[in-house]
Amino acid sequence: MLRLTRLLPWWWPPPAAAFPVKNLGLRKVASGVSSPGSASPRALNIFDRDLKRKQKNWAARQPEPMKFDYLKEEVGSRIADRVYDVARDFPLALDVGCGRGYIAQHLNKETVGKFFQTDIAENALKNILETEIPTVSVLADEEFLPFRENTFDLVVSSLSLHWVNDLPRALEQIHYVLKPDGVFIGAMFGGDTLYELRCSLQLAETEREGGFSPHISPFTAVSDLGHLLGRAGFTTLTVDTDEIQVNYPGMFELMEDLQGMGESNCAWNRKALLHRDTMLAAAAVYGEMYRNEDGSVPATYQIYYMIGWKYHDSQARPAERGSATVSFGELGKINDLMSQGKKSQ
Amino acid sequence: MSGNGAVWGRVRSRLRAFPERLAACGAEAAAYGRCVQASTAPGGRLRKDLCAQEFEALRSCFAAAAKKTLTGGR
Repeated sequence: MLRLTRLLPWWWPPPAAAFPVKNLGLRKVASGVSSPGSASPRALNIFDRDLKRKQKNWAARQPEPMKFDYLKEEVGSRIADRVYDVARDFPLALDVGCGRGYIAQHLNKETVGKFFQTDIAENALKNILETEIPTVSVLADEEFLPFRENTFDLVVSSLSLHWVNDLPRALEQIHYVLKPDGVFIGAMFGGDTLYELRCSLQLAETEREGGFSPHISPFTAVSDLGHLLGRAGFTTLTVDTDEIQVNYPGMFELMEDLQGMGESNCAWNRKALLHRDTMLAAAAVYGEMYRNEDGSVPATYQIYYMIGWKYHDSQARPAERGSATVSFGELGKINDLMSQGKKSQ
Repeated sequence: MSGNGAVWGRVRSRLRAFPERLAACGAEAAAYGRCVQASTAPGGRLRKDLCAQEFEALRSCFAAAAKKTLTGGR
């Protein structure tokens, strides 16, 4: 979400396009599978996916990746809670944009039989977290899932869809690989995420430089999310939001943590340089405007959790119009009605 | 372009010293922050260099803190 300065990192120059596929237990699957529906004319190109892969690889290669995992761990455990809430077992599950596999470590063998974990960063897959479920790591982009139709009983995605260029297409792909009566449980960052940082940078840049450019990536609004899921073909949608507030000593620590999480800005329209003066000014504004009593500054992460099902005949459907047998006006006599109904059954 | 990340490491270590120096200039930072925040009130308009004075005070305090850590620290 934030790029500090344009410094060429240690892995420059980037690996050539045809780098050798090492057999490290990872299956690199070609993504030339025919996708459902043609390439959408509405496809946007907001994010540099190549750069995002490099950033995630860099973050996964840090000496202490656990230091920056707190947010993803928390959201991963909340998604696992939602998986447990569904009264079903899932023989085959997929994790889209898994990172180091934050969801799998909270699930058990009875709920999920086999777990496919995909991510665009191979370093993250190499450092996958321990889990008792048998897993297969696949290097794949969220928008080009290399799986057949009707494969998975469960698809989960935790905090990776906000870097996808064509979100409608990614959701359609997820819908495609789901079996009928399969469920998709996902979590995405929402509109209010990091609003303190966004405002501070905006104000400081305006005051220091006379104008401002976006440093925080754009997020999907919750209403749009419902429409997108519906358009992708999901039924019985549930979208709920959650806010996690994390306190940091100051703005610089927040930015360092964001980079350590692999959440640096990769939008094409990002400004390459953030002046030190502007950073200093933004840190001062952030501290003054949003400071807690103990001197720390909060950062808000708004998470949208979404649950969508793939249609199956067995799923409950709304009743036909005019098929009601009792009227709402008789609600006061509900006990009698219910005992009547039991007698007739 | 260094392959071992020497430049990046040097710049990043300089950046890591920022929070400490900022903490040493709490009063100036608060004054600058208040000035900017005041412009966000209804009727205020934030222009370039609206709070230039406060920022200059902050920057000189910051530079002084940097000099102190350079000469005193290492």
